[in-house]
Amino acid sequence: MIIHDVICPFCGCLCDDLELECEGGKIIKVQNGCALAESTFMTDTRLPAPIRRTESGWEEISYNEAIKETAEILQGADRPLLYGWSSTHGEAQSVGVHIAELIGAVIDNTSTVCHGPSILAIQEVGHPGCTLGQVKNRADVIIYWGCNPIEAHPRHMSRYTTYATGFFVPDAQRERTVIVVDTRRTDTAGIADEFVQIEHGGDYAVLSALRAIVRGKASVIPAKVAGVSKEQLIRIAEICKTAKFGAIFFGLGLTMSRGKYKNIRNAIELTDELNRHTKFVISPLRGHGNVYGSNEVFTWMTGYPFAVDFARGIAFYNPGETTAVDILRRGECDAALIVASDPGANFPRAAAAHLAKIPTVVIDPHVNATTALARIHIPCTAAGIDAAGTAYRMDGVPIRLKKVIDRGYPDDAEILKKIYDRLNGGKGP
Amino acid sequence: MKCILNTGRTVPQGVSVEHKGADVYRTIASSCFLNPVDMMILGIEDGDRIRVTTPTGHIVLTARPAEGVARNEIFVAIGPYANHIISSETHGTGMPDFKSQRVDVEPTKEPLKSVGELMEAIGGLRYDHT
Repeated sequence: MIIHDVICPFCGCLCDDLELECEGGKIIKVQNGCALAESTFMTDTRLPAPIRRTESGWEEISYNEAIKETAEILQGADRPLLYGWSSTHGEAQSVGVHIAELIGAVIDNTSTVCHGPSILAIQEVGHPGCTLGQVKNRADVIIYWGCNPIEAHPRHMSRYTTYATGFFVPDAQRERTVIVVDTRRTDTAGIADEFVQIEHGGDYAVLSALRAIVRGKASVIPAKVAGVSKEQLIRIAEICKTAKFGAIFFGLGLTMSRGKYKNIRNAIELTDELNRHTKFVISPLRGHGNVYGSNEVFTWMTGYPFAVDFARGIAFYNPGETTAVDILRRGECDAALIVASDPGANFPRAAAAHLAKIPTVVIDPHVNATTALARIHIPCTAAGIDAAGTAYRMDGVPIRLKKVIDRGYPDDAEILKKIYDRLNGGKGP
Repeated sequence: MKCILNTGRTVPQGVSVEHKGADVYRTIASSCFLNPVDMMILGIEDGDRIRVTTPTGHIVLTARPAEGVARNEIFVAIGPYANHIISSETHGTGMPDFKSQRVDVEPTKEPLKSVGELMEAIGGLRYDHT
Protein backbone atom coordinates (compact mmCIF):
# COMPACT_ATOMS: atom_id res chain seq x y z
CA MET A 1 0.00 0.00 0.00
CA ILE A 2 1.31 3.45 -0.87
CA ILE A 3 0.45 6.36 1.45
CA HIS A 4 0.72 9.81 -0.12
CA ASP A 5 1.39 13.23 1.41
CA VAL A 6 3.02 11.81 4.53
CA ILE A 7 4.62 14.34 6.91
CA CYS A 8 8.15 13.65 8.12
CA PRO A 9 8.33 14.43 11.86
CA PHE A 10 12.13 14.64 12.12
CA CYS A 11 13.07 18.28 11.63
CA GLY A 12 11.28 21.62 11.70
CA CYS A 13 10.69 21.55 7.92
CA LEU A 14 7.93 18.95 8.46
CA CYS A 15 8.10 18.07 4.74
CA ASP A 16 4.58 17.04 3.75
CA ASP A 17 5.16 15.38 0.39
CA LEU A 18 6.60 12.00 1.33
CA GLU A 19 5.32 8.76 -0.13
CA LEU A 20 5.53 5.69 2.05
CA GLU A 21 5.15 2.14 0.90
CA CYS A 22 3.83 -0.12 3.65
CA GLU A 23 3.53 -3.88 3.64
CA GLY A 24 2.40 -6.15 6.46
CA GLY A 25 2.38 -3.34 9.03
CA LYS A 26 5.91 -2.28 8.10
CA ILE A 27 7.25 0.68 6.16
CA ILE A 28 9.35 -0.72 3.35
CA LYS A 29 10.09 2.34 1.22
CA VAL A 30 10.31 6.12 1.68
CA GLN A 31 10.13 8.39 -1.36
CA ASN A 32 10.84 12.13 -1.62
CA GLY A 33 12.40 12.18 1.85
CA CYS A 34 15.98 13.05 2.80
CA ALA A 35 18.38 10.68 4.55
CA LEU A 36 16.98 11.80 7.92
CA ALA A 37 13.41 10.98 6.85
CA GLU A 38 14.45 7.61 5.53
CA SER A 39 16.10 6.61 8.79
CA THR A 40 13.19 8.02 10.82
CA PHE A 41 10.70 5.77 9.08
CA MET A 42 12.84 2.79 8.12
CA THR A 43 15.07 2.10 11.14
CA ASP A 44 12.54 2.78 13.86
CA THR A 45 13.65 0.44 16.66
CA ARG A 46 11.62 0.72 19.85
CA LEU A 47 11.95 -0.23 23.46
CA PRO A 48 9.63 -3.30 23.56
CA ALA A 49 8.01 -2.72 27.00
CA PRO A 50 8.29 -0.43 30.04
CA ILE A 51 11.43 -1.03 32.09
CA ARG A 52 12.41 -0.20 35.66
CA ARG A 53 15.88 0.07 37.12
CA THR A 54 16.41 -2.06 40.22
CA GLU A 55 19.48 -2.67 42.35
CA SER A 56 20.31 -5.75 40.29
CA GLY A 57 19.66 -4.26 36.84
CA TRP A 58 16.73 -3.57 34.53
CA GLU A 59 13.40 -5.38 34.72
CA GLU A 60 10.34 -5.25 32.48
CA ILE A 61 7.15 -3.99 34.11
CA SER A 62 3.57 -3.48 32.95
CA TYR A 63 2.25 -0.14 31.66
CA ASN A 64 -0.11 0.07 34.64
CA GLU A 65 2.73 -0.44 37.09
CA ALA A 66 4.93 2.09 35.27
CA ILE A 67 2.15 4.70 35.20
CA LYS A 68 1.30 4.14 38.88
CA GLU A 69 4.93 4.49 39.96
CA THR A 70 5.43 7.59 37.79
CA ALA A 71 2.40 9.25 39.39
CA GLU A 72 3.74 8.37 42.84
CA ILE A 73 7.16 9.83 41.99
CA LEU A 74 5.61 13.08 40.75
CA GLN A 75 3.14 13.26 43.64
CA GLY A 76 5.92 12.86 46.18
CA ALA A 77 8.22 15.48 44.65
CA ASP A 78 8.64 19.01 45.99
CA ARG A 79 10.16 20.45 42.81
CA PRO A 80 9.47 18.22 39.82
CA LEU A 81 10.82 19.07 36.36
CA LEU A 82 8.86 18.09 33.23
CA TYR A 83 11.19 18.40 30.25
CA GLY A 84 11.33 17.62 26.54
CA TRP A 85 8.17 17.69 24.40
CA SER A 86 9.67 18.54 21.00
CA SER A 87 9.36 15.17 19.27
CA THR A 88 5.73 14.61 20.06
CA HIS A 89 2.40 16.16 19.07
CA GLY A 90 0.54 19.08 20.61
CA GLU A 91 -1.98 16.75 22.21
CA ALA A 92 0.73 15.24 24.47
CA GLN A 93 2.30 18.64 25.10
CA SER A 94 -0.97 20.06 26.36
CA VAL A 95 -1.46 17.20 28.85
CA GLY A 96 2.09 17.88 30.03
CA VAL A 97 1.20 21.50 30.80
CA HIS A 98 -1.92 20.35 32.70
CA ILE A 99 0.24 18.00 34.82
CA ALA A 100 2.72 20.81 35.50
CA GLU A 101 -0.04 23.12 36.67
CA LEU A 102 -1.63 20.42 38.81
CA ILE A 103 1.51 19.48 40.73
CA GLY A 104 3.28 22.86 40.69
CA ALA A 105 6.11 21.65 38.46
CA VAL A 106 8.55 23.42 36.17
CA ILE A 107 7.84 22.53 32.54
CA ASP A 108 10.47 23.28 29.91
CA ASN A 109 10.94 22.22 26.32
CA THR A 110 13.98 21.60 24.13
CA SER A 111 13.97 25.13 22.73
CA THR A 112 15.74 25.94 25.99
CA VAL A 113 18.93 24.50 24.39
CA CYS A 114 17.97 25.40 20.82
CA HIS A 115 16.16 28.60 19.85
CA GLY A 116 15.27 29.75 23.38
CA PRO A 117 17.57 32.77 22.94
CA SER A 118 15.77 33.56 19.65
CA ILE A 119 12.49 33.73 21.58
CA LEU A 120 14.08 36.04 24.17
CA ALA A 121 15.18 38.37 21.37
CA ILE A 122 11.75 38.22 19.71
CA GLN A 123 10.19 39.15 23.06
CA GLU A 124 12.45 42.21 23.10
CA VAL A 125 12.08 43.48 19.54
CA GLY A 126 9.45 41.42 17.72
CA HIS A 127 9.59 38.97 14.82
CA PRO A 128 9.40 40.31 11.27
CA GLY A 129 8.83 36.85 9.76
CA CYS A 130 6.62 35.13 7.21
CA THR A 131 5.67 31.64 6.11
CA LEU A 132 8.03 29.54 4.04
CA GLY A 133 5.58 29.77 1.14
CA GLN A 134 6.20 33.53 0.93
CA VAL A 135 9.95 32.94 0.89
CA LYS A 136 9.62 30.30 -1.80
CA ASN A 137 7.47 32.45 -4.06
CA ARG A 138 9.08 35.87 -3.51
CA ALA A 139 12.58 35.87 -2.05
CA ASP A 140 15.44 36.73 -4.41
CA VAL A 141 18.05 37.09 -1.64
CA ILE A 142 18.49 34.37 0.97
CA ILE A 143 20.88 34.61 3.92
CA TYR A 144 21.75 31.55 6.00
CA TRP A 145 23.46 32.86 9.12
CA GLY A 146 25.06 30.46 11.61
CA CYS A 147 23.21 27.48 10.20
CA ASN A 148 23.92 24.57 7.90
CA PRO A 149 20.66 23.43 6.30
CA ILE A 150 22.37 20.83 4.10
CA GLU A 151 23.12 18.87 7.29
CA ALA A 152 20.33 19.90 9.65
CA HIS A 153 17.38 20.64 7.32
CA PRO A 154 18.41 18.81 4.14
CA ARG A 155 15.37 19.77 2.03
CA HIS A 156 15.04 23.40 3.12
CA MET A 157 16.97 24.64 0.10
CA SER A 158 15.16 22.47 -2.43
CA ARG A 159 11.68 23.12 -1.06
CA TYR A 160 11.85 26.81 -0.16
CA THR A 161 15.00 28.63 -1.24
CA THR A 162 18.04 27.95 -3.43
CA TYR A 163 16.56 25.32 -5.73
CA ALA A 164 12.83 25.95 -5.30
CA THR A 165 10.90 27.39 -8.22
CA GLY A 166 8.70 30.22 -6.94
CA PHE A 167 5.81 32.16 -8.46
CA PHE A 168 7.88 35.35 -8.75
CA VAL A 169 11.19 33.49 -8.91
CA PRO A 170 10.69 31.07 -11.81
CA ASP A 171 14.41 30.40 -12.38
CA ALA A 172 15.47 29.98 -8.78
CA GLN A 173 19.09 29.00 -9.27
CA ARG A 174 19.78 32.06 -11.43
CA GLU A 175 17.49 34.55 -9.74
CA ARG A 176 18.15 33.85 -6.08
CA THR A 177 21.35 35.12 -4.47
CA VAL A 178 22.39 32.96 -1.53
CA ILE A 179 24.65 34.36 1.19
CA VAL A 180 26.05 32.10 3.90
CA VAL A 181 27.61 33.46 7.08
CA ASP A 182 29.45 30.97 9.28
CA THR A 183 32.67 30.33 11.15
CA ARG A 184 33.05 27.03 9.26
CA ARG A 185 33.18 26.54 5.49
CA THR A 186 30.28 24.08 5.55
CA ASP A 187 28.70 22.26 2.60
CA THR A 188 26.01 24.97 2.61
CA ALA A 189 28.77 27.59 2.33
CA GLY A 190 30.10 25.65 -0.66
CA ILE A 191 27.01 26.44 -2.75
CA ALA A 192 26.63 30.07 -1.67
CA ASP A 193 27.07 33.02 -4.04
CA GLU A 194 28.76 34.83 -1.17
CA PHE A 195 30.38 33.07 1.76
CA VAL A 196 31.20 35.28 4.73
CA GLN A 197 33.62 33.46 7.06
CA ILE A 198 33.66 35.23 10.37
CA GLU A 199 35.92 34.73 13.35
CA HIS A 200 34.45 32.77 16.23
CA GLY A 201 32.18 34.93 18.38
CA GLY A 202 32.19 37.76 15.81
CA ASP A 203 28.51 37.62 14.81
CA TYR A 204 27.41 40.58 16.91
CA ALA A 205 30.16 42.80 15.52
CA VAL A 206 29.45 41.80 11.91
CA LEU A 207 25.70 42.38 12.35
CA SER A 208 26.42 45.80 13.87
CA ALA A 209 28.74 46.68 10.98
CA LEU A 210 26.09 45.72 8.44
CA ARG A 211 23.51 47.83 10.28
CA ALA A 212 25.86 50.81 10.16
CA ILE A 213 26.52 50.37 6.44
CA VAL A 214 22.81 50.01 5.63
CA ARG A 215 22.27 53.24 7.62
CA GLY A 216 24.80 55.00 5.37
CA LYS A 217 27.57 55.09 7.98
CA ALA A 218 30.12 52.90 6.17
CA SER A 219 32.83 55.45 6.94
CA VAL A 220 32.94 54.36 10.59
CA ILE A 221 33.63 50.70 9.75
CA PRO A 222 37.26 49.54 10.07
CA ALA A 223 39.01 47.61 7.28
CA LYS A 224 38.13 44.27 8.91
CA VAL A 225 35.35 43.27 11.29
CA ALA A 226 35.74 39.85 12.98
CA GLY A 227 37.82 38.66 10.04
CA VAL A 228 35.42 39.98 7.36
CA SER A 229 36.69 42.66 4.97
CA LYS A 230 34.91 46.00 4.78
CA GLU A 231 34.61 45.51 0.98
CA GLN A 232 32.66 42.28 1.46
CA LEU A 233 30.43 43.84 4.11
CA ILE A 234 29.60 46.75 1.78
CA ARG A 235 28.91 44.29 -1.06
CA ILE A 236 26.58 42.22 1.15
CA ALA A 237 24.75 45.33 2.36
CA GLU A 238 24.23 46.41 -1.26
CA ILE A 239 22.91 42.98 -2.29
CA CYS A 240 20.44 43.17 0.60
CA LYS A 241 19.34 46.75 -0.06
CA THR A 242 18.68 46.07 -3.73
CA ALA A 243 16.82 42.80 -3.13
CA LYS A 244 13.15 42.66 -4.09
CA PHE A 245 12.46 40.42 -1.09
CA GLY A 246 15.13 39.17 1.27
CA ALA A 247 14.92 36.38 3.83
CA ILE A 248 17.37 35.70 6.65
CA PHE A 249 17.40 32.25 8.22
CA PHE A 250 19.53 31.81 11.29
CA GLY A 251 20.57 28.84 13.36
CA LEU A 252 22.30 27.87 16.54
CA GLY A 253 25.47 29.60 15.36
CA LEU A 254 23.79 32.73 16.66
CA THR A 255 21.82 31.37 19.63
CA MET A 256 24.65 29.37 21.20
CA SER A 257 27.58 31.71 20.57
CA ARG A 258 28.83 34.53 22.73
CA GLY A 259 26.10 37.15 23.02
CA LYS A 260 23.36 34.55 22.59
CA TYR A 261 19.98 36.34 22.41
CA LYS A 262 21.67 39.69 21.82
CA ASN A 263 23.01 38.28 18.52
CA ILE A 264 19.45 37.52 17.44
CA ARG A 265 18.24 40.93 18.57
CA ASN A 266 20.93 42.52 16.43
CA ALA A 267 19.95 40.35 13.44
CA ILE A 268 16.29 41.34 13.86
CA GLU A 269 17.29 44.99 14.07
CA LEU A 270 19.35 44.60 10.86
CA THR A 271 16.18 43.22 9.27
CA ASP A 272 14.31 46.26 10.57
CA GLU A 273 16.98 48.51 9.06
CA LEU A 274 16.75 46.75 5.68
CA ASN A 275 12.98 47.26 5.63
CA ARG A 276 13.65 50.99 5.20
CA HIS A 277 14.99 50.05 1.73
CA THR A 278 13.10 46.91 0.69
CA LYS A 279 11.11 43.96 2.09
CA PHE A 280 13.17 41.75 4.40
CA VAL A 281 12.16 38.97 6.80
CA ILE A 282 13.99 36.86 9.36
CA SER A 283 13.18 33.47 10.89
CA PRO A 284 14.92 30.83 12.96
CA LEU A 285 15.60 27.44 11.38
CA ARG A 286 13.82 25.44 14.07
CA GLY A 287 15.29 22.02 14.78
CA HIS A 288 13.18 19.17 16.09
CA GLY A 289 9.95 18.25 14.33
CA ASN A 290 7.49 19.89 16.69
CA VAL A 291 9.69 22.06 18.90
CA TYR A 292 7.88 25.12 17.56
CA GLY A 293 4.63 23.44 18.60
CA SER A 294 5.85 23.13 22.18
CA ASN A 295 6.35 26.91 22.23
CA GLU A 296 2.88 27.44 20.75
CA VAL A 297 1.14 25.05 23.14
CA PHE A 298 2.99 26.37 26.20
CA THR A 299 2.21 29.94 25.19
CA TRP A 300 -1.48 29.52 24.58
CA MET A 301 -1.86 27.57 27.81
CA THR A 302 0.46 29.49 30.17
CA GLY A 303 1.40 32.73 28.44
CA TYR A 304 5.06 31.71 28.18
CA PRO A 305 6.86 29.69 25.48
CA PHE A 306 9.27 27.62 27.62
CA ALA A 307 10.77 27.41 31.14
CA VAL A 308 7.40 27.80 32.89
CA ASP A 309 7.45 27.38 36.67
CA PHE A 310 4.14 26.59 38.42
CA ALA A 311 5.64 26.35 41.94
CA ARG A 312 3.82 29.54 42.97
CA GLY A 313 0.47 28.22 41.71
CA ILE A 314 0.65 30.59 38.76
CA ALA A 315 2.82 30.52 35.65
CA PHE A 316 6.22 32.16 36.26
CA TYR A 317 8.90 32.53 33.60
CA ASN A 318 12.49 33.55 34.14
CA PRO A 319 14.98 32.01 31.66
CA GLY A 320 18.31 31.47 33.37
CA GLU A 321 16.46 30.50 36.54
CA THR A 322 13.51 28.35 35.45
CA THR A 323 15.29 26.80 32.46
CA ALA A 324 15.97 23.05 32.63
CA VAL A 325 19.78 23.19 32.44
CA ASP A 326 19.91 25.73 35.29
CA ILE A 327 17.49 23.79 37.49
CA LEU A 328 19.47 20.58 36.97
CA ARG A 329 22.85 22.34 37.33
CA ARG A 330 21.78 23.70 40.71
CA GLY A 331 20.52 20.25 41.73
CA GLU A 332 17.18 21.86 42.42
CA CYS A 333 14.62 19.38 41.11
CA ASP A 334 13.87 16.21 43.09
CA ALA A 335 12.09 14.29 40.31
CA ALA A 336 12.00 14.53 36.53
CA LEU A 337 9.66 13.45 33.76
CA ILE A 338 11.41 13.47 30.38
CA VAL A 339 9.13 13.21 27.35
CA ALA A 340 10.18 12.87 23.69
CA SER A 341 13.74 14.10 24.13
CA ASP A 342 17.21 13.08 25.29
CA PRO A 343 18.79 15.46 27.82
CA GLY A 344 21.23 12.70 28.80
CA ALA A 345 22.92 13.20 25.43
CA ASN A 346 22.10 16.85 24.81
CA PHE A 347 22.70 18.57 28.16
CA PRO A 348 26.13 19.34 29.59
CA ARG A 349 27.34 16.50 31.79
CA ALA A 350 26.83 18.28 35.12
CA ALA A 351 23.16 18.94 34.28
CA ALA A 352 22.52 15.42 32.94
CA ALA A 353 24.22 13.88 35.99
CA HIS A 354 21.52 15.23 38.30
CA LEU A 355 18.93 13.12 36.46
CA ALA A 356 20.66 9.98 37.75
CA LYS A 357 20.53 11.27 41.35
CA ILE A 358 16.75 11.74 41.39
CA PRO A 359 13.85 9.53 40.28
CA THR A 360 13.64 10.21 36.54
CA VAL A 361 10.96 8.79 34.27
CA VAL A 362 11.38 8.76 30.48
CA ILE A 363 8.41 8.52 28.10
CA ASP A 364 9.91 8.06 24.64
CA PRO A 365 9.58 5.53 21.83
CA HIS A 366 13.32 4.88 21.70
CA VAL A 367 16.07 3.86 24.07
CA ASN A 368 18.36 6.86 24.35
CA ALA A 369 21.15 8.15 26.57
CA THR A 370 18.64 9.36 29.18
CA THR A 371 17.33 5.79 29.54
CA ALA A 372 20.56 4.93 31.37
CA LEU A 373 19.96 7.78 33.84
CA ALA A 374 16.29 6.93 34.45
CA ARG A 375 14.44 4.86 37.00
CA ILE A 376 11.61 4.04 34.58
CA HIS A 377 11.37 4.21 30.78
CA ILE A 378 7.91 3.89 29.22
CA PRO A 379 7.85 3.30 25.45
CA CYS A 380 5.09 4.89 23.36
CA THR A 381 4.05 5.74 19.84
CA ALA A 382 6.18 8.02 17.69
CA ALA A 383 4.16 11.04 16.50
CA GLY A 384 3.91 10.97 12.72
CA ILE A 385 4.70 7.26 12.44
CA ASP A 386 2.17 5.35 14.54
CA ALA A 387 0.33 8.30 16.08
CA ALA A 388 -1.55 11.20 14.51
CA GLY A 389 -1.47 14.67 16.01
CA THR A 390 -0.75 18.34 15.46
CA ALA A 391 2.75 19.67 14.88
CA TYR A 392 3.94 23.18 14.01
CA ARG A 393 6.36 23.73 11.16
CA MET A 394 9.32 26.06 11.75
CA ASP A 395 7.33 29.00 10.32
CA GLY A 396 4.42 28.46 12.72
CA VAL A 397 2.12 26.63 10.31
CA PRO A 398 0.24 23.80 12.08
CA ILE A 399 0.29 20.53 10.17
CA ARG A 400 -1.56 17.32 11.02
CA LEU A 401 0.90 14.43 11.44
CA LYS A 402 -0.46 11.16 10.07
CA LYS A 403 -0.58 7.76 11.63
CA VAL A 404 0.87 5.54 8.90
CA ILE A 405 1.19 2.20 10.71
CA ASP A 406 0.07 0.59 13.96
CA ARG A 407 2.80 -0.91 16.10
CA GLY A 408 0.68 -1.65 19.15
CA TYR A 409 2.16 1.00 21.43
CA PRO A 410 0.05 3.41 23.51
CA ASP A 411 0.06 7.08 22.52
CA ASP A 412 2.19 9.23 24.86
CA ALA A 413 -0.80 11.58 25.29
CA GLU A 414 -2.80 8.60 26.61
CA ILE A 415 -0.01 7.60 29.02
CA LEU A 416 0.21 11.21 30.25
CA LYS A 417 -3.58 11.43 30.68
CA LYS A 418 -3.50 8.30 32.86
CA ILE A 419 -0.72 9.86 34.96
CA TYR A 420 -2.79 13.04 35.24
CA ASP A 421 -5.86 11.06 36.30
CA ARG A 422 -3.91 9.35 39.07
CA LEU A 423 -2.53 12.68 40.26
CA ASN A 424 -5.97 14.23 40.19
CA GLY A 425 -7.89 11.51 42.00
CA GLY A 426 -9.40 10.06 38.83
CA LYS A 427 -10.57 13.31 37.28
CA GLY A 428 -9.14 14.03 33.83
CA PRO A 429 -7.66 17.30 32.59
CA MET B 1 46.75 23.28 21.65
CA LYS B 2 44.17 25.83 22.80
CA CYS B 3 40.99 25.72 20.67
CA ILE B 4 37.32 26.63 20.66
CA LEU B 5 34.88 23.70 20.63
CA ASN B 6 32.04 24.16 18.16
CA THR B 7 29.18 21.66 18.03
CA GLY B 8 26.32 21.16 15.59
CA ARG B 9 24.08 18.80 13.72
CA THR B 10 25.26 16.58 10.86
CA VAL B 11 23.33 14.22 8.60
CA PRO B 12 25.08 11.08 9.93
CA GLN B 13 24.37 12.23 13.50
CA GLY B 14 20.70 12.74 12.63
CA VAL B 15 20.44 9.39 10.86
CA SER B 16 21.77 7.50 13.89
CA VAL B 17 20.32 9.71 16.63
CA GLU B 18 17.74 7.14 17.76
CA HIS B 19 20.38 4.40 17.93
CA LYS B 20 22.68 5.81 20.56
CA GLY B 21 23.81 2.41 21.77
CA ALA B 22 25.07 1.45 18.31
CA ASP B 23 28.75 1.47 17.31
CA VAL B 24 27.93 3.70 14.34
CA TYR B 25 26.58 6.41 16.66
CA ARG B 26 29.67 6.20 18.84
CA THR B 27 31.89 6.66 15.77
CA ILE B 28 29.89 9.68 14.59
CA ALA B 29 29.40 11.45 17.92
CA SER B 30 33.03 10.92 18.98
CA SER B 31 34.56 12.24 15.73
CA CYS B 32 36.34 15.54 16.18
CA PHE B 33 36.98 17.62 13.06
CA LEU B 34 40.13 19.75 13.00
CA ASN B 35 41.83 21.98 10.50
CA PRO B 36 44.52 19.87 8.76
CA VAL B 37 47.20 22.43 9.69
CA ASP B 38 46.30 22.06 13.37
CA MET B 39 46.51 18.27 12.97
CA MET B 40 49.99 18.65 11.48
CA ILE B 41 51.08 20.84 14.40
CA LEU B 42 49.68 18.28 16.87
CA GLY B 43 51.49 15.53 14.94
CA ILE B 44 48.36 13.45 14.42
CA GLU B 45 46.83 11.62 11.46
CA ASP B 46 43.25 10.96 10.41
CA GLY B 47 41.81 8.44 12.89
CA ASP B 48 44.25 9.12 15.73
CA ARG B 49 42.90 9.70 19.22
CA ILE B 50 42.93 13.09 20.91
CA ARG B 51 42.22 14.09 24.48
CA VAL B 52 40.12 17.25 24.74
CA THR B 53 40.16 18.95 28.13
CA THR B 54 38.12 21.73 29.73
CA PRO B 55 37.81 22.83 33.37
CA THR B 56 34.76 20.50 33.48
CA GLY B 57 36.69 17.36 32.49
CA HIS B 58 38.18 15.55 29.54
CA ILE B 59 37.04 13.25 26.76
CA VAL B 60 38.83 11.07 24.22
CA LEU B 61 37.77 11.66 20.60
CA THR B 62 38.88 10.53 17.16
CA ALA B 63 40.57 13.23 15.06
CA ARG B 64 39.29 13.81 11.53
CA PRO B 65 40.60 16.42 9.11
CA ALA B 66 38.19 19.06 7.73
CA GLU B 67 39.37 21.91 5.49
CA GLY B 68 36.30 23.97 6.37
CA VAL B 69 37.07 24.13 10.08
CA ALA B 70 39.01 27.27 11.00
CA ARG B 71 42.41 27.11 12.69
CA ASN B 72 42.19 26.72 16.49
CA GLU B 73 38.58 25.56 16.24
CA ILE B 74 37.33 21.98 16.57
CA PHE B 75 33.93 20.64 15.54
CA VAL B 76 32.07 17.73 17.16
CA ALA B 77 28.50 16.64 16.36
CA ILE B 78 26.04 17.45 19.15
CA GLY B 79 25.72 14.60 21.61
CA PRO B 80 27.05 13.02 24.79
CA TYR B 81 30.73 13.21 23.83
CA ALA B 82 30.85 16.98 23.33
CA ASN B 83 28.53 17.50 26.29
CA HIS B 84 30.83 15.51 28.54
CA ILE B 85 33.18 18.52 28.65
CA ILE B 86 30.86 21.49 28.06
CA SER B 87 30.20 23.68 31.09
CA SER B 88 26.62 23.85 32.34
CA GLU B 89 26.91 27.61 32.96
CA THR B 90 24.23 29.48 30.98
CA HIS B 91 25.06 33.12 31.83
CA GLY B 92 21.46 33.70 32.87
CA THR B 93 20.01 32.70 29.49
CA GLY B 94 19.27 28.99 29.94
CA MET B 95 21.67 28.23 27.07
CA PRO B 96 25.10 26.68 27.75
CA ASP B 97 28.14 27.55 25.58
CA PHE B 98 27.59 24.70 23.14
CA LYS B 99 29.52 26.55 20.44
CA SER B 100 32.14 28.48 22.34
CA GLN B 101 33.69 26.19 24.93
CA ARG B 102 37.44 26.79 25.32
CA VAL B 103 39.33 23.49 25.21
CA ASP B 104 42.85 22.11 25.23
CA VAL B 105 43.63 19.45 22.59
CA GLU B 106 46.49 16.94 22.83
CA PRO B 107 47.27 13.57 21.23
CA THR B 108 46.57 10.47 23.30
CA LYS B 109 46.54 6.68 23.05
CA GLU B 110 43.62 6.32 25.48
CA PRO B 111 40.60 4.36 24.18
CA LEU B 112 37.20 5.82 23.22
CA LYS B 113 34.39 5.35 25.67
CA SER B 114 30.94 4.11 24.68
CA VAL B 115 27.79 6.19 25.30
CA GLY B 116 26.85 3.62 27.97
CA GLU B 117 30.19 4.15 29.73
CA LEU B 118 29.74 7.94 29.63
CA MET B 119 26.28 7.62 31.21
CA GLU B 120 27.56 5.13 33.81
CA ALA B 121 30.29 7.62 34.73
CA ILE B 122 27.55 9.96 35.95
CA GLY B 123 25.55 7.37 37.89
CA GLY B 124 23.54 5.76 35.09
CA LEU B 125 23.10 2.13 34.11
CA ARG B 126 23.13 1.31 30.41
CA TYR B 127 20.27 -0.58 28.82
CA ASP B 128 21.58 -2.30 25.71
CA HIS B 129 19.17 -1.91 22.84
CA THR B 130 20.09 -0.52 19.44
